[in-house]
Amino acid sequence: MIFRVIFSTMIVQMKQSFARPMFRFCLLANPMLNTILLYEMYKNSGEENFMAYVVLGAGLMGLWGCICFSSAGDINRERYSGTLSLIFVAPTSFPIIILGKIIGNTLMSLLTLGISLATAKILFGIDLVLESPGYFLIALLASVITFIVISSVIACLLTLSRKTELYMNCIEIPMSLICGFVFPVSVLAPQVRIISYILSPTYAVELMRMAVWGVIDTTLFWEKMSILILLTIIYTLISVFLYKKIDRRVRIAATLEVA
Amino acid sequence: MIKRFFDQAYLYHKGRRAAFEAEGFVLMQIGYPLITLIFYCLIASYSFKTSNLTNWVIGNAFLLCTNACIFGLGNIFVSERYFGRLRSIIASPCAKLPLILASGVFPAFFAICASVCGLIVGAIVFKVDFTGINLFMVAVTIICAMISATCFGLFLSSLGLISDSMHLILNIVSYLMMIFTGAEFPVSQLPLPGRIISLLMPLTKTIAAMNSLFDGSSTTAMNILFDGSSTTAMNILFAEKSKAFWILLIGELATGLIYALLARTVFEYAERCARKNGKFDLF
Repeated sequence: MIFRVIFSTMIVQMKQSFARPMFRFCLLANPMLNTILLYEMYKNSGEENFMAYVVLGAGLMGLWGCICFSSAGDINRERYSGTLSLIFVAPTSFPIIILGKIIGNTLMSLLTLGISLATAKILFGIDLVLESPGYFLIALLASVITFIVISSVIACLLTLSRKTELYMNCIEIPMSLICGFVFPVSVLAPQVRIISYILSPTYAVELMRMAVWGVIDTTLFWEKMSILILLTIIYTLISVFLYKKIDRRVRIAATLEVA
Repeated sequence: MIKRFFDQAYLYHKGRRAAFEAEGFVLMQIGYPLITLIFYCLIASYSFKTSNLTNWVIGNAFLLCTNACIFGLGNIFVSERYFGRLRSIIASPCAKLPLILASGVFPAFFAICASVCGLIVGAIVFKVDFTGINLFMVAVTIICAMISATCFGLFLSSLGLISDSMHLILNIVSYLMMIFTGAEFPVSQLPLPGRIISLLMPLTKTIAAMNSLFDGSSTTAMNILFDGSSTTAMNILFAEKSKAFWILLIGELATGLIYALLARTVFEYAERCARKNGKFDLF
């Protein structure tokens, strides 16, 4: 039953998201334009494997953009459409429906990685170079899960605010900066790096980059993977806590509107 | 006439800022643009392996006008339609160019403030050296850049009359500005068609002019199209540094003027179609 609900919600969400011009921009145009921009910036850097920073960087920025402008604002969008209360009182639990929406968005957003790669190949002749494809798949799977969980936390936090649109716009670039989507976090100041290392996408990006270059130190790979899993579990707990808090508040106030 | 122009400009500004909130202003107008500037400067420092980020601080400080000029101005006619004022504007017998230009006065002013702030913050964070720089010329360059960017924004806003996908258009344009203006990497890296497009874009010439002020070289400014050394035809023609600088600024203002006229042309076309078809939208 739960899986059927998640699957149908995913399909509906994918159709709804793709109908929005802003999501289409994030999904299709953003990775292409970012790939061109990053390729030109990295062209004379001496970096030979453009997969690590150009293709992966542009794809991840696109993926994160999709999350910001869709998953993060989905609850608010339901409120605006007047369907939030219907979802909330439906027999299936509210977090399950939201989870289905977020999974749908995140899976569709993975297309940005493919578009980025295709743009790099067609325009600049960059080949797909994956030194450790097996490790890359593991890292990608872990990344998808962590992005789903982090989207869920953000969606909960934004549910409690009336300024969803403002915050959605404000988290796109800062996250790419702090988590080092297009450059290593070692470039950042040590004080900023503390924030980087409490955010799970930082590890997700580092793991994928390691796999692109080839995993030489497997202990380091699994060490980073363990931290990523630990952080993802913590985020999941935060998300569950927030959903419970929202549920309690809604039942006490008897409204799904924010103050 | 002039008083009416500025009254209209003030009314546009008042309308846009009616729902002003300090939190929104601090986050969207100050914090987010500055973080964007730092983000692209950090990419440049890593990819170009340099600690001298003067060119990127300048380029990205200029691009800070994107918020006011592209996203702010680009949605003018979309908002006019939304608030139901479009019919009054199209049906009124007044001249349309002053009306269009009036809406750009305050965004241009805010864009200048944003660029100056960006330049100052960028200079502090990335240690840009202002020693020996002619601040008057810096100020003139910023003003020219923002006038041109504002005219470009007005042209984009007129597209709101013929398209219902302004979000898509404005976001793509903001990226095109990063790619083609020379803010993130030298325009000479682009293939010839790309360099021609870059000349048609606003800000390209002022970014080159500003870079030439800081570089102290006469070759930078005129090598936008003609890659190579100072022996190219353009450099021989405009060997004198200040002459090349002023020509770039005039070129930038001419680009702005062309966009303002294009905005008027699109608007007049939409107006004619509205009168003929009895509806305001061309899509």
